[in-house]
Amino acid sequence: MTLVVVGVSHRTAPLDVREALAFPRERISEALARARAEAGLEEAMILSTCNRVEVYGRAAEGAPADAVARFLEGYHGRAAGDLGPYVYAVSGEAAVRHAFRVAASLDSMVIGEPQILGQVKEAYEIAEEAKSLGASLGALRNRSLSAAKRARSETRIGQNAVSVSSVAVELARKIFGSLKDRSVLLVGAGKMSELSARHLVSGGARATVLGGRTFEKAEELAAALGGQAAPFEALQAELAKADVVISSTGAPHTVIHKEDVAAAVRARRRPLFLIDIAVPRDVEPDVRELANVFLYDLDDLKAVADANLRERKKEAASAEAIVESEVRAFLEWQKSLDVAPLLADLRQRAEAIRRAELERARKRLGPLTAEQESAIDAATSAIVNKLLHPPTAHLKEVAKNGSAPDVVELVRRLFGL
Amino acid sequence: MSSRIYLLLTLGFYAVGALNVLLQAVARRRLLTTWTVTAALAGFAMHTASLSQRWTEAGHFPIVGFHDGASFLAWATVLAFLATYVQARVDALGLAVYPAAFVLVLVAVLTPVSEREDPILRSLYLPIHTTLALIGYGALFVAFAMGVMYLIQERELRSRSPRAFYYLAPSLERCDTLGGHSVEVGFVFLTLAILTGLMWNLSRGAIWTGTPKEWSASLAWLIYVVMLVARRRSGWGGRRAALLGIAGFVIVVFTFFSLSLARSARGGA
Repeated sequence: MTLVVVGVSHRTAPLDVREALAFPRERISEALARARAEAGLEEAMILSTCNRVEVYGRAAEGAPADAVARFLEGYHGRAAGDLGPYVYAVSGEAAVRHAFRVAASLDSMVIGEPQILGQVKEAYEIAEEAKSLGASLGALRNRSLSAAKRARSETRIGQNAVSVSSVAVELARKIFGSLKDRSVLLVGAGKMSELSARHLVSGGARATVLGGRTFEKAEELAAALGGQAAPFEALQAELAKADVVISSTGAPHTVIHKEDVAAAVRARRRPLFLIDIAVPRDVEPDVRELANVFLYDLDDLKAVADANLRERKKEAASAEAIVESEVRAFLEWQKSLDVAPLLADLRQRAEAIRRAELERARKRLGPLTAEQESAIDAATSAIVNKLLHPPTAHLKEVAKNGSAPDVVELVRRLFGL
Repeated sequence: MSSRIYLLLTLGFYAVGALNVLLQAVARRRLLTTWTVTAALAGFAMHTASLSQRWTEAGHFPIVGFHDGASFLAWATVLAFLATYVQARVDALGLAVYPAAFVLVLVAVLTPVSEREDPILRSLYLPIHTTLALIGYGALFVAFAMGVMYLIQERELRSRSPRAFYYLAPSLERCDTLGGHSVEVGFVFLTLAILTGLMWNLSRGAIWTGTPKEWSASLAWLIYVVMLVARRRSGWGGRRAALLGIAGFVIVVFTFFSLSLARSARGGA
C-alpha cells in the first residue's frame, strides 16, 4: 500500500490559487467520493485550510499522484496541467513524513501555531463520516496526531507569543504576573486594541474605555468587554488607576504626554505598562524615560514577536527530531504489516520444506528416471501451491483494503514465520 | 564515613545540579528537572550528614573558620531554596542557588578545617546564634537573587528586546513579592541572631564590643527595617526594593565573613 499527498500550500502557491482550490466544509464529503472514483483511491482525506489544500490518499496499487492532481484541477474547473507549478505530490515515506510535519505545525506559515492540529483532526473526522477512511489513513491519523501532541508538549515550539496582540498580553504578564483585577485602560476603540483587551479581560483584568467624539463606540466596546466607558476628559484620572494602557486613537498628534504619565505614576507604586498601537503614535516617546513605566509601540511589539518567532524556530529543530523518530517508528510498524514480505516468507518456507523432504525421499528411493524425477517434483509443487493458494488469495484481498495487523500477525504465528 | 567524604559527595551532587540548570538555561528549557531537584535533595542530605559528622569530629558546633563558614552557608542557602521551592516553585532561582552552593562547597573542600580550641566554642550560644543567623542569610540570599532577577528582567523589558531572561525569569511582580516575603523571613531570623549575639556578648561581659561585625549587622538590620516599613506602609516595592535587598545582602555577606576573616587573620586563633 502506498500513501500519497497531493496539494498546494503557502510554500508553493499564492493566496488566490489556494483560495480557488479551497473545499468548503459541507462539500468535502462529496468531493471525497469523487476523488476516490476519479483517482482510483481506496481511502481519501481532504485537508482544506487557508494556508493549504491537500488530498491524502491510498491507492490499491501504485501511487496515482497525477490522477489526484487531475482530480483537483477537474473539480475546480481547471484545465489539466493548469496547476503544474503550484502542486506538489509526495508518496510513500515522504508522504508519511509530510503528514506528520503538517500536523505538528512544522510546515505552517507560523511555526508552532495551534490551529492546524484541530484542522487536521477535523479533516480526518469528515473523511471518517464520509466512509473514506480505512485502516491506512486511520493509522496515519492516530500516529501523526499523537506525534504532533508530543512535539508540542516536549518542546517550546508552541510557546511565546508571535502576534502583536498576543505579545502585548505576554508582556503584561511579564510585568504584572497575574492579570486578575488589573485595570486596563483603552484609549480609543480600535480593532487591534479590542483584541488585546479581550485577552487581558479573559485573564481577569477589568477594562475601561475612553471615548471622544464617538462615545457610543466606546460604550459599545466597554459593554462587549464587560467594563465601563468614560469620556476622554477623564484621561488623567484614569491613567492614575490603570495598570495597562492600550492607546489606538486616530489622532494626528500625541494624546498622552510625559507630564500626564509622570503625574500618574507619582500617585502610585505599581508599574505602568503603556501599549501604543496607533500610527501615528499616541504616546510621547520620551515617556519611556520615566521610572516604573514600560512603553511599547507597534514596532516594539513586532520586534518582540520576531524574537519569539526566532525562539520557536530554534525549538523547531527539536520538534523535527521528535517527529522524525515518530515517522521512523510508524514506517517500521507499517512495514511489519505489509503483506508482500509475508507472502514471500510463506512461499520460501514451503519451498524449503518441499526441497528438504524431496532430498530425503530421493536418498531412500535410489536413482530415478528423468520422468519419475519430474513427476514427484510436480506432485510436491502442486501440494504446496494448492495448500498455499487460499491463504495467499485471502492475504492479497486483505492488502487491498489496507493493512490488517491481526491477520498478518496470525498468519506469521500459524506458520512459525 | 568522614565529614570530608560526605562533603565531596555533596559537591558532586551540587555540580550535577549546577551543570544541569545551566544547560537547561542555554537550551531555554524548563530550568528545574527531576534531575536537578533530586540532585538538590540528595546533595542537601549528604551535606547535612557531613555537617553532623563534622560536629562529632570537632567536638563543638562546626562553625569555626572559613571551611565551616562556607559549608554552612551553602547548606543554609539550599535550605532556603528548597523551602521557597515548596512554597512558590520559582525555577529561575535555581540559576542562582545551584552555582552558589557549588562554589561555596568547593571553597569548603579546598580550605583546611580549623583546629581551633577555645572554651567559648563550648557555649550553647554558638549553635543557637549561628543557626539562626545562617537560616536568615539563606532567606536573604533568596531576596538578593530575586532582586537581581528583577533588575535584569526590568532592564530587558525596558530595552524592548527580549533576551535570555525574558524567557527564563518569572514576572516582575513575582520577583518583587517573593523578594519581599524572603526579606520578611530573613529579617525575623536576622533579628533573633542579633539578639542572641548580644546576649552572648553580655554573658562574656560587654553587650557591645564595637567589632565591624556588630556594626555591619546593625546596618543590614536597619536597611531591612526601612524596606519592610516602607513596603507595609505604602506598598513600596519594585526597583528600589530590589536595590535595597541587594545592598542589604552584600552587607550581610560582609558581616558573615568578617568574623571568619578576622579569625583567619589572627592565625586561626
